[in-house]
Amino acid sequence: MSKEQALESAEHAGSGVRGAASPEATAERTITLELFRYHPETDSEPRFQSYEVPYNEDWVVLDAINWIKDHVDGTVTHRWSCRMGVCGSCGMMVNGEPVLTCAAFLKSYFPFAVRVEPLVNFPVERDLVVSMDGFMEKLEAVKPYMIRDDVNDTSGGEFRQSPAELAKYKQFSMCINCMLCYAACPVVGHEEEFLGPAALALGHRYNKDSRDQGFAERMDVMLSDEAMWGCTFVGECSVVCPKHVDPAGAIQQAKAMGAQEYFKRFVMPKGAGA
Amino acid sequence: MSQGGYRRPHRWAWWMERPGYMRFMIRELTSFFMAGYLVVFLVTLSKVGAGDAAFAEWVDALSGPGWVAAHVVALLAAVWHAVTFFGAVPQAMPIFLGERRLSAPIAMIVMGYGPWLTVSAVVVWWILR
Repeated sequence: MSKEQALESAEHAGSGVRGAASPEATAERTITLELFRYHPETDSEPRFQSYEVPYNEDWVVLDAINWIKDHVDGTVTHRWSCRMGVCGSCGMMVNGEPVLTCAAFLKSYFPFAVRVEPLVNFPVERDLVVSMDGFMEKLEAVKPYMIRDDVNDTSGGEFRQSPAELAKYKQFSMCINCMLCYAACPVVGHEEEFLGPAALALGHRYNKDSRDQGFAERMDVMLSDEAMWGCTFVGECSVVCPKHVDPAGAIQQAKAMGAQEYFKRFVMPKGAGA
Repeated sequence: MSQGGYRRPHRWAWWMERPGYMRFMIRELTSFFMAGYLVVFLVTLSKVGAGDAAFAEWVDALSGPGWVAAHVVALLAAVWHAVTFFGAVPQAMPIFLGERRLSAPIAMIVMGYGPWLTVSAVVVWWILR
């Protein structure tokens, strides 16, 4: 699409894109988006396709992709939902950096071209969409739920917890499963079986929960070779995390707990377990 | 946990993609210099056991510019490794006072730089007394 066509089309941009409806808001300038394209039924290799998008400094990269899909090329495939950094759906590589595209403003890149790719370290299903199957399996593997014998017994009321006990794990419970940490983790890129930052942080979140009694059960998974000992503490997972979960910190804390548990099991093979 | 879909080729130069990756590689490489220094240190101990003449000869050899440069590099590597180690302390060993978590700079001082400087001061005093 030419620049003139892009500007003309922007005047008719619909309500699906924030700040795009009024002619006054219409940008006079454009910005180039280079989108990673891969359709498995026709493409043997991925390619990049460039689009001219009206530049609006209120727009984020996700707005620009939505605009392309709505007005230029309906075959562009991407995931998104909330547009406000809560759902974790719109994580992509923008100029090589894993980010939530709903939080990446075009003005941070203008006037240069913006290259958008699906998150690295994941297989690509189509265009900007990656396969989440392995990620979901890894999340399930750490048993991310309350484990206790009386978990369904509410006769005694709720399981109470003090603010100090809550503070021990609250940070790790803020994860939105956006998978940016997996794209930033070189170990995930090298070892497909590595459980990865989000799953390990989630397991640690439950291990630190005073109401939970599943530490030993969860540690059976987290002490395995492809779990926390695979982490070399590069730390970039925490750098890219949009929710400041600090998965790298969680994993190092889990290692300390895991080392204690390992020696406990070594000394007392049948009687260990917190 | 195998998944379908297109797999992008392995990135052999991954460590050059982000400054954080580069810092990680430098941190890991410091271990080579520290291991090298440890070998020199062990040889020094063996010379101590071999007698005064052997030790004096070894110390004389170590005073050459090449060895001094190697020690400076090993010292820089050790300092950088210590700095990165102390930087990781607040993440790996959080300290809570009730529901408040000690801030990272305070935690680094309390659990890293504070004890480090204290022990260093004691060692310096012990050597110079």
